[in-house]
Amino acid sequence: MADILFHLFAFLTIGSSVAVVYNHNAVNSALAFLVGLIGVSGLFVLLDSFLLAVLMVLVYAGAVVALFLFIIMLLDMQGGERKPFSKATAVAALIGAALLTVCTMTLIRKFGGLETAEMGSILPVGANLKHYADLLFTTYLLPVQVVGFLLLIAMLGVIVLSKKFAGLEDVK
Amino acid sequence: MPTELLQQAAADNHWAAIGPELMVGCLALLLLVLEIVLPKARHEIIPSVAVVGLLGIITGFVINYHTAFVGQTTFNGLLRHSGTGQFLRLFFLLAATGVSVLGIVALKRQKMPKVEFFAITLVVSGAMMLLAQANNFVMLFVALETVTVGFYILVSYTRTNPLSLEAGLKYLIMGALSSGILLFGIALLYGVAGNPALTAASADSMNFDALRVFLYANPDNIIAAVGIVLVLSGVAFKVGAVPFQIWIPDVYQGAPTPVTAFLAIASKAAGFAILLTLVTVFDGYQSLVVGVLTVMAIATILFGNLAALTQHNVKRLIGLSGVSHAGYLLVGVIAAIHVPFAVGAICFYLFAYLLGSLAVFGVMTHVSGDDDADQDMDHYADLAKTHPFLGVVLAVGLGSLAGIPPLAGFMGKLLVFLAAFEAGLYALLGVAILGVVISIYYYFGWIKAAFFPQWRPPVFEGDDPLPEPPRQVVSTPAGILLATAALASVLLGFYQGPLGAWLGLG
Repeated sequence: MADILFHLFAFLTIGSSVAVVYNHNAVNSALAFLVGLIGVSGLFVLLDSFLLAVLMVLVYAGAVVALFLFIIMLLDMQGGERKPFSKATAVAALIGAALLTVCTMTLIRKFGGLETAEMGSILPVGANLKHYADLLFTTYLLPVQVVGFLLLIAMLGVIVLSKKFAGLEDVK
Repeated sequence: MPTELLQQAAADNHWAAIGPELMVGCLALLLLVLEIVLPKARHEIIPSVAVVGLLGIITGFVINYHTAFVGQTTFNGLLRHSGTGQFLRLFFLLAATGVSVLGIVALKRQKMPKVEFFAITLVVSGAMMLLAQANNFVMLFVALETVTVGFYILVSYTRTNPLSLEAGLKYLIMGALSSGILLFGIALLYGVAGNPALTAASADSMNFDALRVFLYANPDNIIAAVGIVLVLSGVAFKVGAVPFQIWIPDVYQGAPTPVTAFLAIASKAAGFAILLTLVTVFDGYQSLVVGVLTVMAIATILFGNLAALTQHNVKRLIGLSGVSHAGYLLVGVIAAIHVPFAVGAICFYLFAYLLGSLAVFGVMTHVSGDDDADQDMDHYADLAKTHPFLGVVLAVGLGSLAGIPPLAGFMGKLLVFLAAFEAGLYALLGVAILGVVISIYYYFGWIKAAFFPQWRPPVFEGDDPLPEPPRQVVSTPAGILLATAALASVLLGFYQGPLGAWLGLG
């Protein structure tokens, strides 16, 4: 059962990610991105990381994608007439794919296959909110404080870069 | 979790160990409060508060330089305080002071809000100081993101200038891409080092000590190898090493000059602080790390110097020459794997680069006209005649960057190259020396523009004479900064040993 679900969510994630890139309409891309995030959160559920799964849906699907959609609709962006591939892109993609294949083959030949662990032996750190919060307020207290400063300067940046100031002529 | 366990976990949070960072953060908050509290007419004193506060913090830091925390880890292994870390903290404080002084000069001509510039500069330098001591990928990434987000804002700060906005957008996209690559590498390393099926796996695999042990125990792991390459690539973006240098010329040109200085000096040093830490962590994969860094160093030195040859815009020139400096420093990092004193050599090189760059950028700030992005070699015509002080400072700064004896930059290069020689990196050494020889051409082209009379088309009667390039009066704080940077560049060429020993660099 878990295997079937894994494949289902994996294909959902990859398929919708491809759709994000190939869609001409930005709104469709954003919605495909939303579906991809749901797929990722499904994968987290399969890994027993329920907290991460919920956060994925709440923060990314709920807030971030909604914000993307807002901005896309506000700017009223059209897909445009550009061709999906120019000749140079196709050649670059071919070379890139060839390089990737060669690198992967070399690495696999040199290092061999991957080791897998028993599912139950790994601690699901992202499983419950209490454990997560304990860590945030003890071990990782300093990074949390630094993130506070990060948000502060991000806010300052928004003010500096977007507020109207007297005597300031903006770029059209 | 019971209360005792919580207390135990929190007991390792020695806030005194990061006193300077706390003070820098509080100073940033103080500036914002002052902006609200003070009447509009008194707002000019706020930038001075930033500079004076920074000088106070530096004094306090130097007095307490040899603290008991050196050699220890605090915050549950998130931070490791080392001699190199102490030096880099001082370095970032000095860089922030210099950039703030240049900011006062440059922002005087803009109608932009002023206080935010200094607050963001302070927060960014505080984050860099933490970055230099990070001993855990969580801490490293959070601090690095704080630095990067700060730079997104600073680069596009003069938003009335389209080039500044363009630079900000380019930096945003490239910065996000590089953070993504870095994060992917971290995730792979975290996952593979936390895999219980492997020997020496750790539940706390973000920790550098645990990771180092794991990498020693598993020297042939494909995922770890891919993770290491991705992490190194992400950091290479930040230092601007080839092939991750494409953003450098445009961003350096578009950013306001003090921000360009900050990017060139502190952002690069932060990248090398990370690299020096990571090279020891990835010791188990030495051949891979050395291979990747060697290819990067050769490409970086050659590309940076050859691309700088044709530049006429001085901001692009200094950006591309900064790329080649990153190449020399990469040689030092490779040498540091085998030769311990190479770390000290890198620190000295960075310090000489700080002084030389501050001198050059200081002059650039004074010579630039209304359009900050358009600074040409021609603007430097007759600089030595009209402004002897600026001319001399420029010559000393450029000479130090080029590595002319007996200036500090020469000693920095000599120390790094000696370390490379001792480590047996002869091919790299050859490329580096070739790079230095090429670099002398463009540095001297700039000095020549400032010192030697230029051919001018004859002015006929009735014609308007050519407009004079803009010049600014040097204010006292900026003059002190420029004179200090130039004097220190000269003095450090003769006198390094005892200072290095006191700084704990050996």
